[in-house]
Amino acid sequence: MERVTEPQDISARRDVVPPTPQVAAAPDRFERKTREAIFGLDEVQVSYGPKPAVRGVSFDIGKNEITALIGPSGCGKSTLIRCLNRMNDLIPGARVEGKVLYHGQDLYAPQVDAVEVRKRIGMVFQKPNPFPKSIYDNIAFGPRVLGMKGSMDEIVERALTQGALWDEVKDRLKTNAFGMSGGQQQRLCIARCLAVNPDVILMDEPCSALDPISTGKIEDLMLELKQNYSIVIVTHNMQQAARVSDKTAFFTVELDDEEHRSGRVVEFDDTEKIFTNPADSRTEAYVTGKVG
Amino acid sequence: MPDTARTHFQEELAKLEEQALGGLDMVVDALDRALETVQQRDVELASMVIADDDRIDGRYLEVHQGVLSLLARQAPVAGDLRLVAALLHIMKNIERMGDQCVNMAKLVPLAGHEPPSDARILADIQQMGEQARSQVVQCKQAFARRDTDLAQDLVRQDDQIDRLNRDVFHLALEIGDDADMREWAMHMTLVARCIERIGDNAVDIGEQTVFVVTGLFREFEDASHPELAPPSTA
Repeated sequence: MERVTEPQDISARRDVVPPTPQVAAAPDRFERKTREAIFGLDEVQVSYGPKPAVRGVSFDIGKNEITALIGPSGCGKSTLIRCLNRMNDLIPGARVEGKVLYHGQDLYAPQVDAVEVRKRIGMVFQKPNPFPKSIYDNIAFGPRVLGMKGSMDEIVERALTQGALWDEVKDRLKTNAFGMSGGQQQRLCIARCLAVNPDVILMDEPCSALDPISTGKIEDLMLELKQNYSIVIVTHNMQQAARVSDKTAFFTVELDDEEHRSGRVVEFDDTEKIFTNPADSRTEAYVTGKVG
Repeated sequence: MPDTARTHFQEELAKLEEQALGGLDMVVDALDRALETVQQRDVELASMVIADDDRIDGRYLEVHQGVLSLLARQAPVAGDLRLVAALLHIMKNIERMGDQCVNMAKLVPLAGHEPPSDARILADIQQMGEQARSQVVQCKQAFARRDTDLAQDLVRQDDQIDRLNRDVFHLALEIGDDADMREWAMHMTLVARCIERIGDNAVDIGEQTVFVVTGLFREFEDASHPELAPPSTA
């Protein structure tokens, strides 16, 4: 994977408070009003070839907050979230420009170990992907690979408890994870992620394959987990973003002169603001479902 | 990009707004007749005003149910959410205005058969009623056009109603020693108070107009902190 770094003027912040809904130029960086930043994104651009898939992303992601990334298909939400734990490293030709700061450290600095990054910044995907192993072994896999010390039974119980799954599976830990329901499998994947003591959990449409009851359980779990973790979620479900997140970033797709599509952040603000009084008319049109 | 999605929802929302604002037309009718009732001391017309309030109450229930249905089925957000919330609010204002017309009509028979009257008080009440009618029409226009300037102008008109209301009160105090006349004047101060409340409800609808447009709610005038109000131009 190739990476281009350019000097950035991080101090070039611009507050975004237009008086009435209107189409505004995308600001350089969106104001972050609360809490300590866990990620700082500055002019992040990701390309899979000569043209960027998403560009000009500049905002901070707060600690112990749930940050939702919303926008139409192809706007670069998943591309961006995969940047946050260097998952794009695995894609040939992927190129990240700008700065992705994690606790103030450049996530893409040469000395940074991508495996260590993915241990601290876990990811849960759209479809539950348990290993073809027992429930116990699914949870124990990561800690064993990392050589974590302590009682494995305690690690497994703690992770399953944090994943709101312990009471449901404590009597069948040795059964195959494939025998669980879809919602349970997704919570198992979250618990598996928690077992290695991450700092951040990235979720790429974690409930899109789940029924409403299972979705509700995952959302409850997210709200519990944010006490101890920071969460970034990509979702197409507007109401889910509204229900669970503290901050929301709205992305849109722009066409250049050669009709190449690339994603761009239109607005980043408190979720309540985005869903009650967005500053930009494009956000308004998207969240109200007038355009997609 | 054109606004092509969720057209059914947008139609439902527009229809709901039309229903709610139609309630203001009903208030104008009720107010006209309540004023005529007071001026003519027409007890029969008074009973019609009272009976017809069921139509306004019915409209309130229709809009209330429509708002609940939209919230449950369509989960409106942003500007749509503000509009839905405002419709619920203004429909309550409309229902209260209808109730004030009923209160005015109920006071007419209480004043007795062919009571004494005072031309100055009746003239002030007529002027108040016309002013309130104008405010009701204006608040409807302001909301329908999302015109914040027109909405804020309601305060200026409301100040005139408040001034006339105080005039009626002072005229009633100075009405003299005749017991029947004093009783009638007392009832007229209550009528004036009803009209004054209709004006206040129109101002409330103006505030909701500004909320729908800007997303920020603030009272044009704060009764508990009058010292913060801008200087009156009336």
